[in-house]
Amino acid sequence: MKNVLILAGLLLVSSLAVFGQGYDAMPADAHVIPIGVDGTAYADLELGVQGGTLNIANIEDPKAWNNHTAHETSTTWFTYRMHKGLVALDHITGAIVPDFAKSYEISEDGLVLTFHLREGIKWSDGTPLTADDVLFTYNDVVLNEDVDCNSRDGQLLPDGTYPICEKVDDYTVTFTLSTIFRPILNSIGVNIMPKHKLAQYVHKLNPDVPAGTFNETWTLETPLDELVGNGPWIVTDYQVNVSVTMERNPYYYGYDPAGTQLPYYDKIVSHIVANQDVSMLKFRNGEVDVYGLRPEDIPILLPESASKDFSVMITDLATYGTTWFLINQDVGLADGTDDEKRELYRTVEFREALAHLIDKDTMIQNVLNGLGAPQWGPLSVPSPFYAGRDYYGGPITETDAVIFEYDPALAASKLDDLGVVDADGDGWRDLPSGAPLTIELNTNDNTLRVGYCLILQDDFRAVDLNCNFQVVDFNTLVGQLFSSTGDLIYLGLTGGDEPNSGSNVYNSCGSLHAYRYSACEDPDEVDLRIDELLGLGANTFDLDEAFEYYKEYQQLLAHQLGYVYTVLRTFQYAHYNYVGNAQAASPISTPGGNNGLLTELCFDRRI
Amino acid sequence: MKRNGLRALGLATCAVVLVSLIGFAAVDVASIVENELIEEISKAAGLALVGDYTLKTLEELEELAATGRTPGVRLAADRALFVLNEKQMELFAMDDDALLALAEAGDQDAADMWFFHNRSSFTRPELVEEYIATAEVETLEIAAGKLLGGFYIPSSPIGAKTEDELVELAKNGESLGLRVAAATALTAIWIMDQPLTIDQIRKEILSVTLVYPELALAYQGYLAYQFSLEL
Repeated sequence: MKNVLILAGLLLVSSLAVFGQGYDAMPADAHVIPIGVDGTAYADLELGVQGGTLNIANIEDPKAWNNHTAHETSTTWFTYRMHKGLVALDHITGAIVPDFAKSYEISEDGLVLTFHLREGIKWSDGTPLTADDVLFTYNDVVLNEDVDCNSRDGQLLPDGTYPICEKVDDYTVTFTLSTIFRPILNSIGVNIMPKHKLAQYVHKLNPDVPAGTFNETWTLETPLDELVGNGPWIVTDYQVNVSVTMERNPYYYGYDPAGTQLPYYDKIVSHIVANQDVSMLKFRNGEVDVYGLRPEDIPILLPESASKDFSVMITDLATYGTTWFLINQDVGLADGTDDEKRELYRTVEFREALAHLIDKDTMIQNVLNGLGAPQWGPLSVPSPFYAGRDYYGGPITETDAVIFEYDPALAASKLDDLGVVDADGDGWRDLPSGAPLTIELNTNDNTLRVGYCLILQDDFRAVDLNCNFQVVDFNTLVGQLFSSTGDLIYLGLTGGDEPNSGSNVYNSCGSLHAYRYSACEDPDEVDLRIDELLGLGANTFDLDEAFEYYKEYQQLLAHQLGYVYTVLRTFQYAHYNYVGNAQAASPISTPGGNNGLLTELCFDRRI
Repeated sequence: MKRNGLRALGLATCAVVLVSLIGFAAVDVASIVENELIEEISKAAGLALVGDYTLKTLEELEELAATGRTPGVRLAADRALFVLNEKQMELFAMDDDALLALAEAGDQDAADMWFFHNRSSFTRPELVEEYIATAEVETLEIAAGKLLGGFYIPSSPIGAKTEDELVELAKNGESLGLRVAAATALTAIWIMDQPLTIDQIRKEILSVTLVYPELALAYQGYLAYQFSLEL
């Protein structure tokens, strides 16, 4: 018994060594998340209570605990929860919002960003968190060439320089830009690291350690009580191939409106499993509370959901990215052939006719098994700039969406009006001159894309357009894309939140402006306006103003029909109903497959 | 008069006690599993009691699984053994050929696991229906039916059927797999919608058990859930 007490005492000491005691009262500069507050994006969420353990599953072990040298999500899943930055993407709206900074302001010339830090906030070990930590993170880690930092490239401004980060006082920092570039706000929000713990491993600050030492810091061999963070969670236990345990950071600055410190859960235990099937079995057995499911899991989980009291969240929120077919308006240009076809492809009414032949409902039902959403524009739906939203980060109402309804009769009528009719009586429509018209539709060996193309081919043929669909090698397809030698090419692109990062695709001189490379030398009015809007959106820090520029940009591209957008997979997950607030968003992943950060807002209803 | 009054009071008290006992008996799941003669009701009680049975020893459970006096006792013991022996992970680790061999020998759990392993080949209800139409092994047909039932649930993104369609399919579906699919979906719907009391479910089972066994199976699943709420 005595030994047990001694052991308990040691454990307590160990615990105190990792964590400080927490705040005596809610800090004046706490970040209050408006959970349950009417008129906010958090209105539907519920206030929770502290306690409990959230059990989840991850497929891989983390590779280290160092946020800035991590290159894989198996590591960042944990480090993103240990650290936070000056700004963050809002849990619900995706908008950029102040986080460790309580506010920020932009100078009149748009070149100086001033961040006001939350005062009185501490690291998880109780050390005060100040501007020195921000400067250390930015100047000595992120921009330090000696550090293999994953977020340095994102700090580059269009003119090839980096923002200059300077301290004004203990709670104020500035970033000075050489040119106005609002997307830098996303990058400046890098997770802040504790100078008092890590400066000693940075060669430029401590010449006693060899160059590159920081890259080997906070590895899996590092004692866990060395890890210090400012995020909601701190890793407190790691069993190789078994589990990672994170516990609440007693000095986290997030609170709910009732004054309860976040996160609500005491712990997250991430069980490391061999593959996603094991993860699903554990979910079915009640061993994990949340599961990022795949479409094939749904018929198994749905019948069990009622008796086991979990929810299968079949959302209509599309994942990040775009899928499309491009109509190559430069077809034949390189070798001086297909002049008439090229002229036809450059006619917007022809492209509209093809857009009216996309049966998106059938694509969703037959190819995506009902788990898809139609897409009409170039920007990922989850982006706060998505033009289907009412305003920046606002609700998705699709009020101003540019929709080409599936309407084969209208498509046929448009083709008739263009003179694309069956001139020789062979059953296929011909070019206005009477020459045969064959549309070559290509994609690579991808089950979904092949499925979409077969539907497209059928619908083209249904209005007597001779469409010849072929599956080609991926490299061949990409070669067609870059050399402008294809006809209609079906592919997809990854996507993100910031429209300006699509400049390589949508700027008339972009390296992937594959539907009309010639636009770089011979832009039309729409091309020029799109180029202008991309710049205007990036060159203002007024997010509402940027939204309006980007909205017009998306609508113009949708009308231009260079890339003709089709459908995207939607996002699904499952959670036991005792996990409060999990209905608002997945606690473990986002539509982009990255790190869902809602864990701090979830709570255990059973407590 | 006084004596008659007392007698009346005594009779009334007895009646209340009797009604209470009957009422108590209606939700005394442990008693039901030991004594119920109707197979589906007995099994429903057994399914509800699996958690309790996992507290017994392996020897007890093996004995009960083999010689338990009712179908419900045998089922509860069998499912408790499945849990305690971690048979799910054992089956999960097997390759498809081994699972098929077990399924052909009558192992329903192996058949279920074979479908779990291969579910990405059955991403549409038509594909499962085609499999069922040519199925030759009963355990695999039942496993396919369970998977198909997930597509038939009204909240399914594809393949959803109405409750009326499902009742008809559970009664008169042309194959065992289709009837099991309908039963699987119906159980889930009823658990969600809670249309009947325990007594009403028992009556429904009595009315269909010999005529429409898969419809009775659907009620069995619903009753098992209702029993579990009584524990």
